[in-house]
Amino acid sequence: MSWDKTLLKQAGEIIELYPQKRSALGPLLHLAQSKDGYISDDSISVISELLGITEVQVKSVSTFYSMYKQEPTGKYLISVCKSISCEINNSTEVIDKVQEFTGLNNNETDEDGLFSFEAVECIGACGGAPAMQVNYETVEGINAENVFSLCSWLKESAPEVIVADEMQENFGGIKSFDWAIQDNTGATSTAPGFQTLKTSKVKK
Amino acid sequence: MSEVVNLNVNGIDIQSDSKKLLIEACEDSGIHIPRFCWHKRLDPVGMCRMCLVEIETPRGKMLVPSCTTQISDEMIVDTESDVVKKAQEGVLEFLLINHPLDCPICDKAGECPLQDQTMAYGPGESRFVEEKRHFEKPISISEIILLDRERCILCARCTRFSDEISGDPLIEFIQRGNKTEVNTFPNEPFKSYFSGNTVQICPVGALTSTSYRFKARPWDLKSTRSTCNGCPMGCSTELNSSQNKMLRILGVDNDSVNQGWLCDKGRYNFEYLNSETRIKTPLKKLNNNFEEVEMQEVYSEISELIKNENTKVNFYLGSNLTNEDFVAFREFANSISNNDNKFYLNDDVLFQGFFNEDVELGKIDDLNNSDAIVIWAEDLKERLPVLYLRVRQAVKNGVKLIVFGHTNRTLDDVAEIFYSDEVVSENFEIIKDLTKLEDFKSLIVEKNVTAIIGKSTPQQSDSSINKLFDFLNSNSNLKILNAFTKGNTYGAFQILDNLKGTKDFVNEINSENTDLLFVVAADPIGRSIYSKQVKKVFDEIKTVVSLDNFKHETSELADVIVPISSTLGEKNGTFTNIEFRTSRIDKLVPSPGQTVSDWEFITSLMNFSGLSNNSYSLEELNTKAFEDLDIELKPYFDNLDKPSNLDGIINRTTPKIATSSSDSEKVNFFIGEKLYGDSVTERNSESISLLGAKKFIEMNQETVDKFKLSSGNCLLEQDNLEINVSYTVNNILPKGTIYIPTNRRELNKFDFSKKIMITPSRVKEALNVN
Ligand code: SF4
Ligand code: SF4
Ligand code: FES
Ligand code: FES
Repeated sequence: MSWDKTLLKQAGEIIELYPQKRSALGPLLHLAQSKDGYISDDSISVISELLGITEVQVKSVSTFYSMYKQEPTGKYLISVCKSISCEINNSTEVIDKVQEFTGLNNNETDEDGLFSFEAVECIGACGGAPAMQVNYETVEGINAENVFSLCSWLKESAPEVIVADEMQENFGGIKSFDWAIQDNTGATSTAPGFQTLKTSKVKK
Repeated sequence: MSEVVNLNVNGIDIQSDSKKLLIEACEDSGIHIPRFCWHKRLDPVGMCRMCLVEIETPRGKMLVPSCTTQISDEMIVDTESDVVKKAQEGVLEFLLINHPLDCPICDKAGECPLQDQTMAYGPGESRFVEEKRHFEKPISISEIILLDRERCILCARCTRFSDEISGDPLIEFIQRGNKTEVNTFPNEPFKSYFSGNTVQICPVGALTSTSYRFKARPWDLKSTRSTCNGCPMGCSTELNSSQNKMLRILGVDNDSVNQGWLCDKGRYNFEYLNSETRIKTPLKKLNNNFEEVEMQEVYSEISELIKNENTKVNFYLGSNLTNEDFVAFREFANSISNNDNKFYLNDDVLFQGFFNEDVELGKIDDLNNSDAIVIWAEDLKERLPVLYLRVRQAVKNGVKLIVFGHTNRTLDDVAEIFYSDEVVSENFEIIKDLTKLEDFKSLIVEKNVTAIIGKSTPQQSDSSINKLFDFLNSNSNLKILNAFTKGNTYGAFQILDNLKGTKDFVNEINSENTDLLFVVAADPIGRSIYSKQVKKVFDEIKTVVSLDNFKHETSELADVIVPISSTLGEKNGTFTNIEFRTSRIDKLVPSPGQTVSDWEFITSLMNFSGLSNNSYSLEELNTKAFEDLDIELKPYFDNLDKPSNLDGIINRTTPKIATSSSDSEKVNFFIGEKLYGDSVTERNSESISLLGAKKFIEMNQETVDKFKLSSGNCLLEQDNLEINVSYTVNNILPKGTIYIPTNRRELNKFDFSKKIMITPSRVKEALNVN
């Protein structure tokens, strides 16, 4: 097994939460994603052993959902929405800008392992279109100019924790609605930031 | 509870069971609805939408998939409306978008549901000009199965089979949407004992088997229904041949027995029939060399011996004979003047079984109808594979499973209770007081229990299983399936009295009591754990006549080898399975060269020796086999051939088995047989010949550490015998216990009553020498 003790312990805690071990599959895949930046065959073997199902069963689920990456991702996964609301609010320009900055085509990762880029379907922030995400933390009302600064900021200050509110404040525009209380918790990897999975952290 | 409901399909009133799905209810009434994904032995998934029909709902007519719709009273259904037709055309058009249409080079063409249903229900014309999706043309997903993903229509029959039925889900859908494909995990092949079933149920030519690939066209095949004689399960089969060559074996859905499934050994162990090395002429040993002789010479020489009143004759019989063969041997033995003859079965594990008036014998179907199943026997998955499937199915239906001992570990995942070393010692004795096992008691006391009991290993004592049996018998409403595991053992029980096993053979037979020994379709020297002792007996006996298909370690020691037809496809007869169900064994291909059926040889020999005036016909033998039975419907050919009896006729007898009981031997290993081994038929069946080639042992991790093993290989040593084997970790084995599969080459050659040394492998040195 190639998961270290801490991770295995954490996996154990997650499995405990479910009446059937197998139900922990989704969260464990997120955990694997947060560890390696993708779902390695190695992690699949570990998970299959932990849950008592076969490796191909794990593989089947992990390849079904596009948020479980099959190839290593960069430190920052930039997902720009290309669905209809965003599209009519000029998301194409945003996409072009990101591609210009990173030099990446859709679903590619750069050589330094810093950026991955993907154009995705609706991320549920239509009211604040065009919207995008960095490591699944959402920014609304983005535009070509701001996204350029956002990318430069990511590159230069290389933040460990990506926080939606912080990005919104510095680079975002109109929001769909007020998100209420300011939240300093953000994602630490290319897996979504969940407290129970310890894939999130509070930014000081 | 189910009840009878009335529904109207296409204007016709039909009745059915409310538990049924619409597609089944229609099928039962002769209304066929096209389908791809639905299979009556698998859970419905509604993947393909081919079975769409219209039903009346409060909101008007609606299209629903009939394979996921449960029927209800007064349902009004239309399976032929214009809307349904349009839907079917649409579904087929979608399915064909990416289908390569390689019919001219596809094994399935001619019996392909996709081809047939496109003909019957398809749009007739294609509108697609786009490029289809491409995958590497067939990839092998195991040694015997190939997968062509371009042809796959994603019906999930194969994946559901491996998950729901065989419990080894090693294939699954990978990816999503139009990228979806069936595949295995990298470097984790579809190593299932039941993989051939997926080939049979795949509705297209996506899954194919190495043995049948490009061999024939379905319309050129001759076929017949028969019974597999690979183990006492006696699965119903369909044999297919072309140009007098056996090419394929399919499972037939016999509801009470195999429900359509076969194990891969039963399915693929047939290529030996066409082997070059098969013996096709009688052979006689002259100066230690076999020479071809005329059959006539064989008859006259052996009959000379038989005519001599002083010749003492005994028999060592393989378990793969038909009931009629057994009868021929019985009649022969009875007519020899010196008729104190004995019959020994080629079985190392033979025990007395539980057959007497107090015992209620079970049927396979009882597994489904009981509250609990108790198993203590050899590894069912290895020895009675389709019975293993039936056990899994029963558990899926809610029956509780209790497994004793460390042999049936592959049932661990579905067992309610698995008693390993805290209850069963390493030499297979129950070490706990059964009355104190509260969990166990709560599942069986006063309950309907079906127990599958047999010896887990030859070294197990009879008293240990008797103890379990007695406890069950006095505390539950018990039905029992005796777990004998070789071929037509139950047929032998029915026909031959006082049968004994190999162990009795080596203890009893010697030159004093035997001048002439018939060894029939058996290779005890190559296969038995009593190999050495058997060889000694053979060396002593003056004349050994072997009836066999091949030269092997045993037949080579004989003085005469008579070439015989195989029970698989080369002769007619009957077979009796584990629940005493007798069904037909049918002939499909001609028997090659001068080979004869065993019964033919023996009855002709009787003629030659003047033991009978008329020679028996097969029908007479069949009658003789069952004439004494006290049942109305006897398994005579005439009866078995009636359409209503194709699934066989149950005819229970109380066999008299004379094998001596054995005490347990304290040993540090236990032995058993794997499904695939190194028998002469397997070696000569190309597709599966390598599956049983690996020599290995199993032990738990602690034992691995104890012997300081690390390379994956080790050396087994005893006296002058040294064998390099690999080892696999199996943590269900008790500490210190080593499992040795004795049907792997040479592994039966140890003396299992003595210690075997295990040391780290010396492979390296051995390599240097080479
Ligand atoms: S391989 Fe055959 S059985 Fe399996 S999903 Fe594809 S079409 Fe169905
Ligand atoms: S389970 Fe037994 S009878 Fe059935 S196919 Fe396999 S070997 Fe033949
Ligand atoms: S369309 Fe872009 S967030 Fe919904
Ligand atoms: S048969 Fe009903 S959906 Fe496939």
